[in-house]
Amino acid sequence: MNIIVCVKQVPDPEIPPAKFKIDTETKKVIPPPGVPPVISVYDERAVEAACRLKDKHKGKITVISIGSEKAIEVVRHAISMGADEGFVLQDEPFENLDSFGTAYVLGKAIQKIGNYDLILCGRQAADWGAGQVGSILAEILGLPLVTFAFDIQLEDKRFKVKRILKDGYEVVEVPMPALMTVSSEIGLPRLPAGMGLMLARRKQIPIWKAKDIGADPTQLDKTKAHTEITEIFIPKRETHCELITGATPADAAANLALKLIKLI
Amino acid sequence: MSPVSITYGGISGYIIFWILFAIAFSLFFRRAYLLFRLLRLGKKENRFDHVGQRIKAMLVELIPQWCTLKTVTRKDRAGIGHALLFWCFSLFLISYIIFIGLAGGLGLSSWIERTPFETAYFSILDIAAVIVILTLIVAAIRRYIIRPQRLEPSLEAGIILILVFSLMALHVLGEGLDYASRDVSASWPPLGATLAKFLKESGFSAKATESGYLGVWWLHYLIILGFMVYIPRSKHLHILASSVNAFFKPLGPKGVLKPISPEETETFGASRIQDFTWKDLLDLYSCAVCGRCHANCPAQLTGKSLSPREVIRNLKEHLLEIGPELIGGKQDSSSEIKMKTMIGEVVTEEEIWACTTCGACQELCPVNIEHIRKIIELRRNLVLSQSRMPESAQLMLRNMQMRGHPWAGAQSLRLRGDWTAGLELKVLSEGDRVGTLLWIGCTGALIERNVKVSQAMTRLLKRAGIDFGVLGDAETCCGDPARRAGNEFQFQIMAEQNIEIFKSYEIKEIITTCPHCYHTIKNEYPAFGGEFKVVHYTQLIANLIKDKKLGISKGLNSKLTYHDPCYLGRYNGIFKEPRWILQSIINKDLEEMERSKSESFCCGGGGGLMWIEEQPGTTKINQMRVEDAIKTGADTVVTACPYCLQMFEDGIEHKGMKDFLRARDLVEIVEEAMVKE
Repeated sequence: MNIIVCVKQVPDPEIPPAKFKIDTETKKVIPPPGVPPVISVYDERAVEAACRLKDKHKGKITVISIGSEKAIEVVRHAISMGADEGFVLQDEPFENLDSFGTAYVLGKAIQKIGNYDLILCGRQAADWGAGQVGSILAEILGLPLVTFAFDIQLEDKRFKVKRILKDGYEVVEVPMPALMTVSSEIGLPRLPAGMGLMLARRKQIPIWKAKDIGADPTQLDKTKAHTEITEIFIPKRETHCELITGATPADAAANLALKLIKLI
Repeated sequence: MSPVSITYGGISGYIIFWILFAIAFSLFFRRAYLLFRLLRLGKKENRFDHVGQRIKAMLVELIPQWCTLKTVTRKDRAGIGHALLFWCFSLFLISYIIFIGLAGGLGLSSWIERTPFETAYFSILDIAAVIVILTLIVAAIRRYIIRPQRLEPSLEAGIILILVFSLMALHVLGEGLDYASRDVSASWPPLGATLAKFLKESGFSAKATESGYLGVWWLHYLIILGFMVYIPRSKHLHILASSVNAFFKPLGPKGVLKPISPEETETFGASRIQDFTWKDLLDLYSCAVCGRCHANCPAQLTGKSLSPREVIRNLKEHLLEIGPELIGGKQDSSSEIKMKTMIGEVVTEEEIWACTTCGACQELCPVNIEHIRKIIELRRNLVLSQSRMPESAQLMLRNMQMRGHPWAGAQSLRLRGDWTAGLELKVLSEGDRVGTLLWIGCTGALIERNVKVSQAMTRLLKRAGIDFGVLGDAETCCGDPARRAGNEFQFQIMAEQNIEIFKSYEIKEIITTCPHCYHTIKNEYPAFGGEFKVVHYTQLIANLIKDKKLGISKGLNSKLTYHDPCYLGRYNGIFKEPRWILQSIINKDLEEMERSKSESFCCGGGGGLMWIEEQPGTTKINQMRVEDAIKTGADTVVTACPYCLQMFEDGIEHKGMKDFLRARDLVEIVEEAMVKE
């Protein structure tokens, strides 16, 4: 089975909010220097889902990422987890794309790689959290789409997928090939260890430009973007600390419970 | 006339002598050869370098009995008894060769017996026998009545005590009967002569004493042979193995782990007994189950399941149990199913993850067993081949991979380079060249309490006029927590990256505040091509004060005690400098904790356990250590390691002792004592 996983580099979610700067002119978020980006947590789970399928059914996992040269490290991380190959899509026209532009570039790259049975994305990116790329990509490639997948089983050339709902989950079946976005309920991604780490380190990760994947520059024209950012700001966080006491620990717990009930 | 030269029921004594010898020796040899073949199941390892140095080290341990005398403390004097037994029993061993082997078996009795040499030697043996018997009595009382924590009332130990005692008794009895039968009235050897006199006065005939002598002589011979057969089949195998082990003991800096060999490509670390090296297996033979490791292991003392003694013993039993099958080539799948899985059934995962790699076990081990690297080999297998580890270990390792440091969550409070703010430091950037680097370490850069120490350190260096640079946010972990947690590859990646960075700035000297970074960069980076001069700040400050480059004033009116960080003290032998510095600052004498210097007790943070959750036990390691500090009556416990500082702060808090005891880093004390400009 051939699986392609789309991963994104995001600013480290551990960075304290106060450390970010906002460029109001260009409406961009500037993360603090010196903190390397990390793989988006949902995308890491998509890699985990791919690895689990590979563990069971054998196959090849290819990872692609749009981003700066630092995205190489993110792809490397996926390879150390168990992916076989990776490409970074880096070019001037690929910068600051909206969800449609991103899906277009990924689609082109996927068509170039070809021969796939399953495409996996994270349910959304850990930075912007739009959660659109996967769906648009399925549209572009004309594939059946399952969002919020957390358990993917292959049965007779069909996928049996559990997708998370607000109050439970549903099981759907899709034929091969298909596109799925993976949700965090799949569980913790594996810790790269053993040979994976060393192999990933030595792996060559090619960089593809617009012309390599045959992307049409007019499709990437920022003025024609579907998304417009009107305002960007760091939300103010207020914390209020209240000590809840009680005569006995049991009383304190009861008081806490009462407080919580009021808040819900 | 020797008892061997007599004919017994028509059979020559010589024939009986040599047949018995042949039987015993073949039994001995069969076992020894099996043990040798079992050793060869282990992986290759070169321990044949520096032969001269090795022979010397072995002789120093063996003949003056440094091996056990070095472990003698006020509380545990058993080493003296061992040394006495060793010396006295060696005299007996030599006597067996001369008086039983040469005089008896080879018929050279006319050259040896009834000579002044015999009288002299027997007189010495009499004294030795008294010493041995007294030592045996003390040993028996210790083991079976007083029973310190490290000893068990084992049957094997009892058998040996009885065997040795009977050898002594038979020696004296033989002497007495021999002298009585020959009707010699002498005063030497003292015990033999006295006993002979007593026998004669009691009215035993010469005939009776002579046949008594013959009986005793042969019984004596049989017991010596039995001893030879029994030794390699019991824990007293250590008599043979430990001297060999002393020859093969690790040379060079202590506690340096071996990189995973490039030959290992499929499984890593040790999941089967044959995944250890032959030296590891020889360690198992060498163990005398003295239990010093058991009684000094912080994990064991705080009620965890880990006992280094049991790990070694269980591995030995496992080797003896399945080894013969492995040699026999019965490695097919059917017998493999029957075999125990080593991780889980022989050594449990709880045991494997409880080790802080503090090195107390190895420091006190009289027979040079390397416990820690076995634990690390087991961890390597769990982490690298099986991806099985506690969740907290996984979190730490993940953070090291993604963020270059083990402190998950710490970053949400401060970023790596934040600590440099407002200090006017030379933060290295591309193209810079600097001779001396101040290496901060992850804890010193990210954790609020330790940042204060790092900042004090920079102020102190500036004051002393030292030109140095720091890496700021470009610094990553030295790799120690990953290596000690078994993720060798993660360590290697970080080591190689760091070495590259050091070389790119042409760094010659590295000053560290963290003893773990110190040990790793100084002793473990050379295997990856990174040879730098590495200094721990305690050494540096001591020199600065001595050279009068750092003016400090004496007069701190505080009662201090100093806690030796394991990786600074035990691992690298830096005990004097920190004490000297403190002593030149305080008015009073430095208080010493009961466990200090090479026998210092771990804070609980080493071996990755700063991040890996401590298992449930009777108490936490750091709290036990805080109790040690409290007992000294000191108001401040000073240390020189960021982990120790963290562990003490936490332990003091938990004990509710914040108003009575403070934990401080040595740098902070020095800064306070610096002469104001």
